[in-house]
Amino acid sequence: MSSQPTGGSRVSLKDVKKAFGSNVVLQGIDLEIPAGQFVSIVGKSGCGKSTLLRLMIGLDSVTAGVLDAPALKEQAARIVFQEPRLLPWASVKDNVAVGLGEGQSGKAADNQAAAILDEVGLKGREGLWPSQLSGGMRQRVALARALVSQPTLLALDEPLGALDALTRIDMQALLEGVWQDLGFTALMVTHDVGEAVALGDRVILIDHGQVVLDLPVNLPRPRKRGTPEFAALEGQILDKLFGDDPRAREAH
Amino acid sequence: MAATASEGPFSRALPWLVPLALIILWQVSSSLGWLPPNILPAPTAVLQAAWVKLQDGSLVDNLGVSFARAMSGLIIGGAIGFSLGLLNGLSKQAEMLLDPTLQMIRNIPHLALIPLVIIWFGIGESARLFLVALGVFFPIYLNTLHGVRNVDPQLIEMGRIYGMNNRTLFLKVILPGALPSIFVGLRFALGVMWLTLIVAETIAANSGIGHMAMAAREFMQTDIVVLSIVIYAILGKLADSATRALERKFLAWNPAYAKV
Ligand SMILES: Nc1ncnc2c1ncn2[C@@H]1O[C@H](COP(=O)(O)OP(=O)(O)OP(=O)(O)O)[C@@H](O)[C@H]1O
Ligand SMILES: [Mg+2]
Repeated sequence: MSSQPTGGSRVSLKDVKKAFGSNVVLQGIDLEIPAGQFVSIVGKSGCGKSTLLRLMIGLDSVTAGVLDAPALKEQAARIVFQEPRLLPWASVKDNVAVGLGEGQSGKAADNQAAAILDEVGLKGREGLWPSQLSGGMRQRVALARALVSQPTLLALDEPLGALDALTRIDMQALLEGVWQDLGFTALMVTHDVGEAVALGDRVILIDHGQVVLDLPVNLPRPRKRGTPEFAALEGQILDKLFGDDPRAREAH
Repeated sequence: MAATASEGPFSRALPWLVPLALIILWQVSSSLGWLPPNILPAPTAVLQAAWVKLQDGSLVDNLGVSFARAMSGLIIGGAIGFSLGLLNGLSKQAEMLLDPTLQMIRNIPHLALIPLVIIWFGIGESARLFLVALGVFFPIYLNTLHGVRNVDPQLIEMGRIYGMNNRTLFLKVILPGALPSIFVGLRFALGVMWLTLIVAETIAANSGIGHMAMAAREFMQTDIVVLSIVIYAILGKLADSATRALERKFLAWNPAYAKV
Protein backbone atom coordinates (compact mmCIF):
# COMPACT_ATOMS: atom_id res chain seq x y z
CA MET A 1 0.00 0.00 0.00
CA SER A 2 1.62 3.24 -1.08
CA SER A 3 0.52 6.69 -2.16
CA GLN A 4 -0.54 7.28 -5.76
CA PRO A 5 0.95 10.19 -7.72
CA THR A 6 -1.27 13.25 -7.35
CA GLY A 7 0.27 15.51 -9.97
CA GLY A 8 0.89 19.22 -9.66
CA SER A 9 -0.84 22.42 -10.56
CA ARG A 10 0.51 25.65 -12.01
CA VAL A 11 0.77 29.04 -10.35
CA SER A 12 0.96 32.32 -12.18
CA LEU A 13 1.52 35.80 -10.77
CA LYS A 14 1.20 38.96 -12.88
CA ASP A 15 2.48 42.25 -11.49
CA VAL A 16 1.53 41.19 -7.98
CA LYS A 17 1.85 43.66 -5.11
CA LYS A 18 1.38 43.08 -1.42
CA ALA A 19 1.28 45.82 1.19
CA PHE A 20 0.47 45.81 4.90
CA GLY A 21 -0.94 49.28 5.41
CA SER A 22 1.66 51.64 3.96
CA ASN A 23 4.42 49.00 4.16
CA VAL A 24 4.90 47.62 0.65
CA VAL A 25 6.35 44.14 1.10
CA LEU A 26 6.16 42.76 -2.46
CA GLN A 27 5.99 44.62 -5.74
CA GLY A 28 5.92 43.82 -9.45
CA ILE A 29 6.15 40.07 -8.99
CA ASP A 30 5.80 38.18 -12.29
CA LEU A 31 6.15 34.43 -12.08
CA GLU A 32 5.02 31.48 -14.16
CA ILE A 33 5.37 28.22 -12.28
CA PRO A 34 4.45 25.15 -14.33
CA ALA A 35 2.72 22.16 -12.76
CA GLY A 36 4.99 19.84 -10.86
CA GLN A 37 7.99 22.17 -10.64
CA PHE A 38 10.15 22.38 -7.50
CA VAL A 39 10.81 26.07 -6.82
CA SER A 40 13.35 27.20 -4.24
CA ILE A 41 12.95 30.71 -2.86
CA VAL A 42 15.85 32.43 -1.13
CA GLY A 43 16.50 35.94 0.14
CA LYS A 44 17.61 37.91 3.16
CA SER A 45 15.51 37.92 6.29
CA GLY A 46 12.47 40.16 6.02
CA CYS A 47 12.60 40.42 2.22
CA GLY A 48 9.11 38.99 1.85
CA LYS A 49 9.62 35.25 1.23
CA SER A 50 7.01 34.03 3.69
CA THR A 51 4.59 36.67 2.47
CA LEU A 52 5.03 35.47 -1.13
CA LEU A 53 4.43 31.89 -0.03
CA ARG A 54 1.29 32.79 1.91
CA LEU A 55 -0.06 34.64 -1.14
CA MET A 56 0.55 31.70 -3.44
CA ILE A 57 -1.39 29.26 -1.26
CA GLY A 58 -4.19 31.67 -0.48
CA LEU A 59 -3.48 32.42 3.20
CA ASP A 60 -3.27 36.11 2.30
CA SER A 61 -4.75 38.07 -0.58
CA VAL A 62 -2.86 40.23 -3.07
CA THR A 63 -3.11 44.02 -2.78
CA ALA A 64 -2.86 44.47 -6.56
CA GLY A 65 -2.12 42.35 -9.62
CA VAL A 66 -3.38 38.91 -10.60
CA LEU A 67 -2.69 35.61 -8.92
CA ASP A 68 -3.93 32.55 -10.75
CA ALA A 69 -3.58 29.18 -9.07
CA PRO A 70 -6.13 26.43 -9.81
CA ALA A 71 -5.11 24.62 -6.60
CA LEU A 72 -6.71 27.40 -4.55
CA LYS A 73 -10.15 26.87 -6.08
CA GLU A 74 -9.84 23.14 -5.51
CA GLN A 75 -8.57 23.67 -1.97
CA ALA A 76 -5.57 21.60 -2.96
CA ALA A 77 -2.85 23.86 -1.53
CA ARG A 78 -1.10 23.05 1.75
CA ILE A 79 1.75 24.45 3.80
CA VAL A 80 4.48 23.06 6.06
CA PHE A 81 6.06 25.48 8.54
CA GLN A 82 9.47 25.51 10.17
CA GLU A 83 7.83 24.22 13.36
CA PRO A 84 5.87 20.99 12.85
CA ARG A 85 2.84 22.39 14.73
CA LEU A 86 1.58 18.95 15.71
CA LEU A 87 -1.13 18.51 18.31
CA PRO A 88 0.85 17.16 21.29
CA TRP A 89 -2.26 15.36 22.61
CA ALA A 90 -2.97 13.51 19.37
CA SER A 91 -1.19 10.38 18.15
CA VAL A 92 0.84 10.43 14.95
CA LYS A 93 -2.10 8.93 13.09
CA ASP A 94 -4.62 11.42 14.48
CA ASN A 95 -2.29 14.30 13.64
CA VAL A 96 -2.12 13.11 10.06
CA ALA A 97 -5.91 12.74 10.02
CA VAL A 98 -6.19 16.47 10.76
CA GLY A 99 -4.98 16.94 7.19
CA LEU A 100 -8.04 15.13 5.86
CA GLY A 101 -10.35 17.86 7.13
CA GLU A 102 -13.79 17.82 8.72
CA GLY A 103 -15.75 14.65 8.94
CA GLN A 104 -13.22 12.41 7.23
CA SER A 105 -12.86 9.22 9.18
CA GLY A 106 -13.29 5.49 8.85
CA LYS A 107 -11.53 2.83 6.87
CA ALA A 108 -10.71 4.90 3.79
CA ALA A 109 -9.25 7.71 5.89
CA ASP A 110 -7.20 5.23 7.91
CA ASN A 111 -5.81 3.72 4.72
CA GLN A 112 -4.89 7.11 3.34
CA ALA A 113 -3.13 8.07 6.57
CA ALA A 114 -1.26 4.75 6.67
CA ALA A 115 -0.17 5.11 3.04
CA ILE A 116 1.22 8.61 3.48
CA LEU A 117 2.99 7.65 6.72
CA ASP A 118 4.61 4.84 4.79
CA GLU A 119 5.63 7.34 2.11
CA VAL A 120 7.44 9.57 4.62
CA GLY A 121 9.09 6.58 6.30
CA LEU A 122 7.02 6.46 9.48
CA LYS A 123 5.35 3.10 9.03
CA GLY A 124 4.69 1.50 12.40
CA ARG A 125 4.80 4.76 14.38
CA GLU A 126 1.09 5.55 14.03
CA GLY A 127 0.35 5.21 17.72
CA LEU A 128 3.16 7.32 19.17
CA TRP A 129 2.79 10.78 20.72
CA PRO A 130 4.70 13.64 19.09
CA SER A 131 6.77 13.93 22.28
CA GLN A 132 8.12 10.45 21.57
CA LEU A 133 9.53 11.47 18.17
CA SER A 134 12.77 13.16 17.13
CA GLY A 135 12.66 16.59 15.48
CA GLY A 136 13.10 15.12 12.03
CA MET A 137 10.33 12.58 12.60
CA ARG A 138 7.98 15.30 13.80
CA GLN A 139 8.59 17.25 10.64
CA ARG A 140 7.83 14.11 8.64
CA VAL A 141 4.49 13.84 10.42
CA ALA A 142 3.81 17.47 9.51
CA LEU A 143 4.70 16.64 5.90
CA ALA A 144 2.39 13.62 5.96
CA ARG A 145 -0.44 15.75 7.39
CA ALA A 146 0.04 18.26 4.55
CA LEU A 147 0.16 15.54 1.89
CA VAL A 148 -2.59 13.17 3.06
CA SER A 149 -5.31 15.13 1.28
CA GLN A 150 -3.31 14.84 -1.98
CA PRO A 151 -2.61 18.52 -2.60
CA THR A 152 -1.31 19.59 -6.00
CA LEU A 153 0.51 22.58 -4.52
CA LEU A 154 2.71 22.36 -1.45
CA ALA A 155 4.39 25.35 0.20
CA LEU A 156 7.29 24.74 2.59
CA ASP A 157 8.44 27.68 4.73
CA GLU A 158 11.97 26.82 5.87
CA PRO A 159 10.77 23.26 6.53
CA LEU A 160 14.19 22.01 7.65
CA GLY A 161 15.36 25.20 9.33
CA ALA A 162 15.04 23.86 12.86
CA LEU A 163 16.86 20.57 12.24
CA ASP A 164 20.49 19.69 12.82
CA ALA A 165 22.82 19.39 9.81
CA LEU A 166 22.77 15.58 9.54
CA THR A 167 19.00 15.31 9.88
CA ARG A 168 18.68 18.05 7.25
CA ILE A 169 20.57 16.00 4.70
CA ASP A 170 18.33 12.99 5.40
CA MET A 171 15.22 15.11 5.15
CA GLN A 172 16.32 16.76 1.89
CA ALA A 173 16.60 13.33 0.32
CA LEU A 174 13.22 12.35 1.76
CA LEU A 175 11.58 15.52 0.48
CA GLU A 176 13.01 15.02 -2.98
CA GLY A 177 11.83 11.41 -3.01
CA VAL A 178 8.32 12.25 -1.90
CA TRP A 179 8.07 15.04 -4.46
CA GLN A 180 9.28 12.70 -7.21
CA ASP A 181 6.77 10.01 -6.16
CA LEU A 182 3.73 12.28 -5.88
CA GLY A 183 4.46 15.00 -8.42
CA PHE A 184 2.96 18.03 -6.65
CA THR A 185 4.23 21.54 -7.30
CA ALA A 186 6.64 22.47 -4.50
CA LEU A 187 7.43 26.00 -3.33
CA MET A 188 10.19 25.93 -0.73
CA VAL A 189 11.61 28.90 1.17
CA THR A 190 15.07 28.26 2.60
CA HIS A 191 17.98 30.18 4.09
CA ASP A 192 20.41 27.60 2.83
CA VAL A 193 21.62 28.34 -0.71
CA GLY A 194 23.07 24.84 -1.04
CA GLU A 195 19.71 23.33 -0.14
CA ALA A 196 17.99 25.60 -2.66
CA VAL A 197 20.28 24.40 -5.46
CA ALA A 198 20.15 20.76 -4.35
CA LEU A 199 16.36 20.56 -4.48
CA GLY A 200 15.05 23.25 -6.83
CA ASP A 201 14.34 22.96 -10.55
CA ARG A 202 14.72 26.68 -10.23
CA VAL A 203 15.93 29.14 -7.61
CA ILE A 204 14.19 32.47 -7.14
CA LEU A 205 15.98 35.21 -5.25
CA ILE A 206 13.88 37.92 -3.61
CA ASP A 207 15.36 41.24 -2.55
CA HIS A 208 13.44 44.22 -1.23
CA GLY A 209 10.15 42.74 -2.35
CA GLN A 210 11.19 41.99 -5.92
CA VAL A 211 12.45 39.01 -7.88
CA VAL A 212 16.07 39.86 -8.63
CA LEU A 213 17.20 36.46 -9.89
CA ASP A 214 15.33 33.55 -11.46
CA LEU A 215 17.84 30.80 -12.06
CA PRO A 216 17.06 27.41 -13.66
CA VAL A 217 18.96 24.47 -12.17
CA ASN A 218 19.53 21.86 -14.83
CA LEU A 219 21.55 19.30 -12.91
CA PRO A 220 20.65 15.62 -12.84
CA ARG A 221 19.10 14.29 -9.61
CA PRO A 222 20.08 13.29 -7.00
CA ARG A 223 22.55 16.16 -7.07
CA LYS A 224 26.09 16.03 -5.80
CA ARG A 225 27.16 19.08 -3.85
CA GLY A 226 30.86 19.12 -4.55
CA THR A 227 30.69 19.38 -8.35
CA PRO A 228 31.91 22.53 -10.16
CA GLU A 229 28.49 23.05 -11.78
CA PHE A 230 26.80 22.98 -8.39
CA ALA A 231 29.35 25.38 -6.90
CA ALA A 232 29.01 27.73 -9.87
CA LEU A 233 25.24 28.02 -9.35
CA GLU A 234 25.71 28.58 -5.61
CA GLY A 235 28.28 31.28 -6.38
CA GLN A 236 25.94 33.02 -8.78
CA ILE A 237 23.20 33.20 -6.14
CA LEU A 238 25.55 34.33 -3.35
CA ASP A 239 26.98 37.04 -5.62
CA LYS A 240 23.52 38.39 -6.23
CA LEU A 241 22.59 38.08 -2.53
CA PHE A 242 25.56 39.91 -1.12
CA GLY A 243 26.67 42.01 -4.08
CA ASP A 244 30.21 43.26 -3.68
CA ASP A 245 30.57 42.57 0.02
CA PRO A 246 33.15 39.74 0.14
CA ARG A 247 33.14 39.54 3.94
CA ALA A 248 29.41 38.89 4.14
CA ARG A 249 29.82 36.27 1.44
CA GLU A 250 32.67 34.63 3.25
CA ALA A 251 30.55 34.43 6.39
CA HIS A 252 27.80 32.57 4.63
CA MET B 1 22.23 6.71 40.79
CA ALA B 2 18.79 8.24 40.92
CA ALA B 3 17.69 5.68 38.38
CA THR B 4 18.86 2.69 40.38
CA ALA B 5 17.29 4.08 43.56
CA SER B 6 13.86 4.18 41.92
CA GLU B 7 13.75 0.40 41.37
CA GLY B 8 13.10 -2.40 43.82
CA PRO B 9 10.83 -3.01 46.79
CA PHE B 10 13.03 -1.06 49.21
CA SER B 11 12.53 2.22 47.36
CA ARG B 12 8.81 1.54 47.09
CA ALA B 13 8.64 1.29 50.87
CA LEU B 14 10.80 4.38 51.33
CA PRO B 15 8.05 7.02 51.47
CA TRP B 16 6.22 5.04 54.16
CA LEU B 17 9.11 4.70 56.59
CA VAL B 18 8.83 8.10 58.28
CA PRO B 19 5.03 8.04 58.79
CA LEU B 20 5.30 4.48 60.12
CA ALA B 21 8.06 5.47 62.55
CA LEU B 22 6.00 8.42 63.77
CA ILE B 23 2.96 6.23 64.42
CA ILE B 24 5.06 3.71 66.31
CA LEU B 25 6.61 6.50 68.36
CA TRP B 26 3.14 7.87 69.07
CA GLN B 27 1.82 4.46 70.13
CA VAL B 28 4.80 3.79 72.37
CA SER B 29 4.55 7.23 74.00
CA SER B 30 0.85 6.64 74.73
CA SER B 31 1.39 3.13 76.09
CA LEU B 32 4.15 4.36 78.39
CA GLY B 33 1.88 7.14 79.65
CA TRP B 34 4.04 10.00 78.32
CA LEU B 35 1.09 11.17 76.24
CA PRO B 36 -2.06 11.50 78.38
CA PRO B 37 -5.20 10.35 76.46
CA ASN B 38 -6.99 13.66 77.05
CA ILE B 39 -4.20 15.40 75.06
CA LEU B 40 -3.69 12.80 72.35
CA PRO B 41 -5.23 9.32 72.43
CA ALA B 42 -3.16 6.34 71.24
CA PRO B 43 -3.50 5.22 67.60
CA THR B 44 -5.16 2.04 68.86
CA ALA B 45 -7.73 4.13 70.72
CA VAL B 46 -8.48 6.06 67.52
CA LEU B 47 -8.90 2.78 65.65
CA GLN B 48 -11.22 1.56 68.37
CA ALA B 49 -13.29 4.75 68.10
CA ALA B 50 -13.48 4.22 64.37
CA TRP B 51 -14.76 0.66 64.93
CA VAL B 52 -17.43 1.82 67.37
CA LYS B 53 -18.59 4.60 65.06
CA LEU B 54 -18.62 2.18 62.14
CA GLN B 55 -20.79 -0.28 64.04
CA ASP B 56 -23.42 2.23 65.11
CA GLY B 57 -23.51 3.50 61.53
CA SER B 58 -22.86 7.12 62.41
CA LEU B 59 -19.42 7.20 60.76
CA VAL B 60 -20.75 6.11 57.40
CA ASP B 61 -23.70 8.51 57.69
CA ASN B 62 -21.51 11.49 58.55
CA LEU B 63 -18.96 10.57 55.94
CA GLY B 64 -21.69 10.35 53.31
CA VAL B 65 -23.09 13.73 54.30
CA SER B 66 -19.67 15.43 54.18
CA PHE B 67 -18.76 13.77 50.89
CA ALA B 68 -22.05 14.80 49.27
CA ARG B 69 -21.56 18.38 50.44
CA ALA B 70 -18.02 18.52 49.11
CA MET B 71 -19.00 17.10 45.74
CA SER B 72 -22.06 19.27 45.20
CA GLY B 73 -20.09 22.38 46.12
CA LEU B 74 -17.28 21.31 43.80
CA ILE B 75 -19.64 20.58 40.94
CA ILE B 76 -21.57 23.85 41.28
CA GLY B 77 -18.58 26.13 41.84
CA GLY B 78 -16.41 24.19 39.42
CA ALA B 79 -18.99 24.27 36.63
CA ILE B 80 -19.49 28.01 36.99
CA GLY B 81 -15.74 28.65 37.20
CA PHE B 82 -15.04 26.41 34.21
CA SER B 83 -17.76 28.01 32.07
CA LEU B 84 -16.73 31.57 32.91
CA GLY B 85 -13.06 30.67 32.38
CA LEU B 86 -13.87 29.31 28.92
CA LEU B 87 -16.11 32.26 28.07
CA ASN B 88 -13.55 34.86 29.12
CA GLY B 89 -10.72 32.90 27.55
CA LEU B 90 -12.48 32.69 24.20
CA SER B 91 -14.04 36.15 24.05
CA LYS B 92 -12.02 39.32 24.58
CA GLN B 93 -15.21 41.32 25.18
CA ALA B 94 -16.48 38.97 27.87
CA GLU B 95 -13.09 39.09 29.56
CA MET B 96 -13.05 42.89 29.57
CA LEU B 97 -16.57 42.94 30.96
CA LEU B 98 -16.21 40.32 33.71
CA ASP B 99 -12.60 39.64 34.57
CA PRO B 100 -11.75 42.89 36.44
CA THR B 101 -14.72 42.39 38.76
CA LEU B 102 -13.87 38.75 39.38
CA GLN B 103 -10.24 39.63 40.08
CA MET B 104 -11.46 42.15 42.66
CA ILE B 105 -13.74 39.66 44.41
CA ARG B 106 -10.93 37.11 44.37
CA ASN B 107 -9.01 39.19 46.89
CA ILE B 108 -11.68 38.68 49.55
CA PRO B 109 -10.92 35.52 51.55
CA HIS B 110 -14.15 33.59 51.10
CA LEU B 111 -14.18 32.42 54.72
CA ALA B 112 -14.43 36.09 55.76
CA LEU B 113 -17.96 35.93 54.37
CA ILE B 114 -19.12 33.37 56.95
CA PRO B 115 -20.99 35.85 59.21
CA LEU B 116 -22.71 37.35 56.19
CA VAL B 117 -23.50 33.93 54.74
CA ILE B 118 -25.08 32.85 58.04
CA ILE B 119 -27.25 35.97 58.02
CA TRP B 120 -28.28 35.29 54.42
CA PHE B 121 -28.83 31.54 54.51
CA GLY B 122 -28.99 30.68 58.21
CA ILE B 123 -26.92 27.63 59.14
CA GLY B 124 -28.64 25.32 56.65
CA GLU B 125 -27.26 23.28 53.81
CA SER B 126 -27.27 26.20 51.37
CA ALA B 127 -24.82 28.21 53.49
CA ARG B 128 -22.22 25.42 53.36
CA LEU B 129 -22.85 24.78 49.68
CA PHE B 130 -22.45 28.47 48.93
CA LEU B 131 -19.12 28.66 50.76
CA VAL B 132 -17.65 25.56 49.15
CA ALA B 133 -18.83 26.60 45.69
CA LEU B 134 -17.37 30.07 46.14
CA GLY B 135 -14.09 28.61 47.38
CA VAL B 136 -13.59 26.23 44.46
CA PHE B 137 -14.82 28.75 41.88
CA PHE B 138 -11.69 30.89 41.76
CA PRO B 139 -8.95 28.29 41.29
CA ILE B 140 -10.98 26.64 38.54
CA TYR B 141 -11.89 29.94 36.89
CA LEU B 142 -8.37 31.37 36.96
CA ASN B 143 -6.66 28.25 35.67
CA THR B 144 -9.22 27.58 32.95
CA LEU B 145 -8.85 31.17 31.74
CA HIS B 146 -5.07 30.93 31.88
CA GLY B 147 -5.11 27.59 30.06
CA VAL B 148 -7.33 28.78 27.22
CA ARG B 149 -5.36 32.03 26.83
CA ASN B 150 -2.08 30.18 26.60
CA VAL B 151 -2.93 27.65 23.92
CA ASP B 152 -0.20 27.92 21.28
CA PRO B 153 -1.49 30.43 18.65
CA GLN B 154 0.51 28.55 16.01
CA LEU B 155 -1.62 25.46 16.66
CA ILE B 156 -4.77 27.54 16.33
CA GLU B 157 -3.54 28.93 13.02
CA MET B 158 -2.72 25.39 11.91
CA GLY B 159 -6.25 24.27 12.78
CA ARG B 160 -7.73 27.14 10.80
CA ILE B 161 -5.50 26.40 7.80
CA TYR B 162 -6.73 22.81 7.83
CA GLY B 163 -10.31 24.05 7.77
CA MET B 164 -11.40 23.19 11.32
CA ASN B 165 -14.68 24.85 12.23
CA ASN B 166 -15.06 26.56 15.62
CA ARG B 167 -16.46 23.45 17.27
CA THR B 168 -13.65 21.17 16.09
CA LEU B 169 -11.05 23.81 16.87
CA PHE B 170 -12.38 24.01 20.41
CA LEU B 171 -12.61 20.26 20.95
CA LYS B 172 -9.35 19.25 19.27
CA VAL B 173 -7.06 22.19 19.94
CA ILE B 174 -8.21 24.64 22.61
CA LEU B 175 -9.70 22.33 25.23
CA PRO B 176 -6.90 19.74 25.20
CA GLY B 177 -4.38 22.57 25.20
CA ALA B 178 -5.98 24.12 28.28
CA LEU B 179 -6.41 20.81 30.11
CA PRO B 180 -3.08 20.70 32.01
CA SER B 181 -3.82 24.12 33.46
CA ILE B 182 -7.41 23.14 34.28
CA PHE B 183 -6.08 20.17 36.24
CA VAL B 184 -3.81 22.46 38.23
CA GLY B 185 -6.94 24.46 39.06
CA LEU B 186 -8.79 21.30 40.07
CA ARG B 187 -6.01 20.32 42.48
CA PHE B 188 -6.08 23.72 44.13
CA ALA B 189 -9.87 23.59 44.22
CA LEU B 190 -9.87 20.24 46.03
CA GLY B 191 -7.67 21.68 48.76
CA VAL B 192 -9.92 24.69 49.17
CA MET B 193 -12.97 22.43 49.07
CA TRP B 194 -11.96 20.33 52.12
CA LEU B 195 -10.72 23.35 54.03
CA THR B 196 -13.97 25.24 53.49
CA LEU B 197 -16.04 22.23 54.38
CA ILE B 198 -14.14 21.61 57.61
CA VAL B 199 -14.59 25.21 58.71
CA ALA B 200 -18.24 25.33 57.68
CA GLU B 201 -19.08 22.01 59.37
CA THR B 202 -17.23 22.92 62.53
CA ILE B 203 -18.92 26.28 62.88
CA ALA B 204 -22.44 25.41 61.90
CA ALA B 205 -23.74 21.95 61.15
CA ASN B 206 -25.74 19.16 62.74
CA SER B 207 -24.21 16.37 60.68
CA GLY B 208 -20.99 15.60 58.86
CA ILE B 209 -17.46 14.83 59.99
CA GLY B 210 -16.88 18.37 61.26
CA HIS B 211 -20.00 18.17 63.38
CA MET B 212 -18.92 14.77 64.70
CA ALA B 213 -15.65 16.34 65.85
CA MET B 214 -17.34 19.31 67.51
CA ALA B 215 -19.89 17.12 69.29
CA ALA B 216 -17.05 14.91 70.56
CA ARG B 217 -15.18 17.96 71.82
CA GLU B 218 -18.05 18.79 74.20
CA PHE B 219 -17.56 15.42 75.90
CA MET B 220 -13.75 15.58 75.70
CA GLN B 221 -13.74 12.50 73.42
CA THR B 222 -10.30 13.18 71.98
CA ASP B 223 -10.25 9.81 70.19
CA ILE B 224 -13.20 10.85 68.03
CA VAL B 225 -11.74 14.31 67.43
CA VAL B 226 -8.51 12.74 66.19
CA LEU B 227 -10.51 10.23 64.15
CA SER B 228 -12.26 13.12 62.40
CA ILE B 229 -8.94 14.76 61.60
CA VAL B 230 -7.58 11.48 60.21
CA ILE B 231 -10.69 11.05 58.08
CA TYR B 232 -10.27 14.53 56.61
CA ALA B 233 -6.67 13.67 55.79
CA ILE B 234 -7.72 10.43 54.09
CA LEU B 235 -10.44 12.18 52.10
CA GLY B 236 -7.96 14.81 50.96
CA LYS B 237 -5.46 12.18 49.93
CA LEU B 238 -8.12 10.20 48.05
CA ALA B 239 -9.22 13.29 46.15
CA ASP B 240 -5.62 14.01 45.23
CA SER B 241 -5.04 10.44 44.04
CA ALA B 242 -8.20 10.56 41.96
CA THR B 243 -6.96 13.73 40.28
CA ARG B 244 -3.59 12.13 39.61
CA ALA B 245 -5.30 9.16 38.01
CA LEU B 246 -7.35 11.49 35.81
CA GLU B 247 -4.20 13.39 34.86
CA ARG B 248 -2.43 10.19 33.91
CA LYS B 249 -5.36 9.22 31.75
CA PHE B 250 -6.03 12.53 30.02
CA LEU B 251 -2.51 13.97 29.92
CA ALA B 252 -0.70 10.79 28.91
CA TRP B 253 0.65 12.63 25.87
CA ASN B 254 2.55 14.99 28.13
CA PRO B 255 5.91 13.54 29.24
CA ALA B 256 5.53 15.42 32.53
CA TYR B 257 2.49 13.32 33.49
CA ALA B 258 3.14 10.02 31.77
CA LYS B 259 3.64 7.17 34.24
CA VAL B 260 5.02 9.01 37.26
N1 LIG C 1 0.71 40.11 8.88
C1 LIG C 1 1.60 41.12 8.69
N2 LIG C 1 1.27 42.38 9.05
C2 LIG C 1 2.15 43.39 8.86
N3 LIG C 1 3.35 43.25 8.34
C3 LIG C 1 3.75 42.01 7.96
C4 LIG C 1 2.89 40.89 8.12
N4 LIG C 1 3.53 39.79 7.67
C5 LIG C 1 4.74 40.22 7.25
N5 LIG C 1 4.88 41.56 7.41
C6 LIG C 1 6.05 42.34 7.04
O1 LIG C 1 6.45 41.96 5.77
C7 LIG C 1 7.86 41.96 5.66
C8 LIG C 1 8.33 40.65 5.09
O2 LIG C 1 8.00 39.60 6.00
P1 LIG C 1 8.21 38.07 5.66
O3 LIG C 1 7.76 37.29 6.84
O4 LIG C 1 7.57 37.76 4.36
O5 LIG C 1 9.78 38.00 5.50
P2 LIG C 1 10.69 36.71 5.26
O6 LIG C 1 11.44 36.95 4.03
O7 LIG C 1 9.88 35.47 5.34
O8 LIG C 1 11.69 36.81 6.49
P3 LIG C 1 12.37 35.61 7.30
O9 LIG C 1 13.46 35.08 6.44
O10 LIG C 1 12.93 36.29 8.51
O11 LIG C 1 11.34 34.60 7.61
C9 LIG C 1 8.40 42.26 7.02
O12 LIG C 1 8.80 43.61 7.05
C10 LIG C 1 7.24 42.05 7.94
O13 LIG C 1 7.28 42.97 9.00
MG1 LIG D 1 9.75 33.85 6.74
